[in-house]
Amino acid sequence: MKVGLFLGCNMPALRPDTEKAIRISLSSLGVEVVDLEGAACCPAYGTFWSADEEAALAVSAWNYSIAEKAGVDMIVQCGSCYSTLKVGRYKLVNGKLQEINEKFLSKVGMKYEGKSDTKHITDFMYNDIGIDKIRESLKYSMEGLKAVVQVPCHTIRPSNILGFDDPENPVVLKNLTRALGAEVPTFTRDKQCCGGAGGYARSNRKAAMEFLKLKLDSMKEEVDPDCIVVSCITCLMWMDEAQDEMRKLGMIDYSIPVFDYNQLLAICQGHDPKKVARIAATPRDEVIQRILENKI
Amino acid sequence: MPVRLSEERDPELIKQIVEVGGEDLLKCYQCGTCIADCPTGIADEPLSVKRLIHIAKLGLSEVLIEDESPWMCVTCTGCEERCPRDARPFEIVLAIRRWQCMEDETYIPQVLTELYERGHTQNVINPMREELELPEIRSVAANEEMLEKFRKLLRETRVVREHAYMFGIQEE
Ligand code: SF4
Ligand code: SF4
Ligand code: SF4
Ligand code: SF4
Repeated sequence: MKVGLFLGCNMPALRPDTEKAIRISLSSLGVEVVDLEGAACCPAYGTFWSADEEAALAVSAWNYSIAEKAGVDMIVQCGSCYSTLKVGRYKLVNGKLQEINEKFLSKVGMKYEGKSDTKHITDFMYNDIGIDKIRESLKYSMEGLKAVVQVPCHTIRPSNILGFDDPENPVVLKNLTRALGAEVPTFTRDKQCCGGAGGYARSNRKAAMEFLKLKLDSMKEEVDPDCIVVSCITCLMWMDEAQDEMRKLGMIDYSIPVFDYNQLLAICQGHDPKKVARIAATPRDEVIQRILENKI
Repeated sequence: MPVRLSEERDPELIKQIVEVGGEDLLKCYQCGTCIADCPTGIADEPLSVKRLIHIAKLGLSEVLIEDESPWMCVTCTGCEERCPRDARPFEIVLAIRRWQCMEDETYIPQVLTELYERGHTQNVINPMREELELPEIRSVAANEEMLEKFRKLLRETRVVREHAYMFGIQEE
């Protein structure tokens, strides 16, 4: 299996350990990861989409044409990248493609024919690789650990355009996490957005933190998890870093470590935690230690 | 900010919003579902798509140009999913942002210039790559030839053409 890894901006810029975890865990599963030569920002909703939609579609088509030329579909981890690339493709293949090719891509000798597509990494792992293969690749297990998942809302909505899971009752990330041996309980605010994306945390940080606190309090009181599992760089950074800030502000007095799914997978596969799960504001050592005590 | 009906009405406003992608705004029947579960609901001045649509329909350009709430959107698309009229409220948020950028260029996100400079919102070449034994990054930021092409493509777009000086582009 061969896929193009769409990096986006936040992951390589701020969390390269997550990129490492994705590359190494996929390669342990026999996936060939191809780099997309010349790929740019997806572009994010806060950029061209907010100023000039045609420009946003041109940048989206730029990325797709690179993947198409390499003969691959793109896989992405960032929820926002997934959403904008899916919405971009939807608008392109449903009418704008020819115009965008003529007005923009042709000026730089490129073209997108509408073939190449995007998949979220959890979709790829669940539906293309499969739970059994993931289980077979493990050397350590999350047995005895309780994990809650943050399903990135950008991967389930708008469900008429994108998605691969039930938008009302998403199970993919939960089942992937269960495959690592963890218990994955449900709680009241299970499906709440983290509030970390877009302009919210920038324009009204206090409110965005209060919003996150609703969710954290609910999980803490109801299930007291050992960690939170995400599969979106924004969910990861926000839930990890905002907790640290909230503790300093006295808004919360607990600490729940946050991991990207592929970081946990890579650790369970026996890869070096210092490489695949190095950067965090909310300490994760205890969870990592407990996994490494659980040799299969 | 209260909506004052005595304010001057701009009959063109609604057409302008529709033109930049808010075409489903006319379907809205003001039920308020879009604000019921919006993450910004917890803020002192939440983002209300319902209210923004109302303002647009009334033609209150002066009110709309001052309203910065569209930029608070988390882009979670919860409203898009829930709207019973399929008015696509999230698309309307984006359309209003675009309209504001056209009416007042100070709304144009600064980050666009970063994208023009290096193809990304920030510096993606992290020095930690080597330590982590990651391959060299292959994105547009690390490929001079592709970056030149990318800039050329962006120079064809309306927003870059009309605001060339913002992007440090010299007029020919
Ligand atoms: S959505 Fe965010 S991370 Fe993804 S490419 Fe765009 S700016 Fe970068
Ligand atoms: S939960 Fe937050 S960060 Fe994650 S996808 Fe949704 S809005 Fe984006
Ligand atoms: S949910 Fe839809 S119909 Fe109801 S107020 Fe919002 S946009 Fe209008
Ligand atoms: S997409 Fe924006 S306006 Fe709609 S519910 Fe989410 S944050 Fe609110």
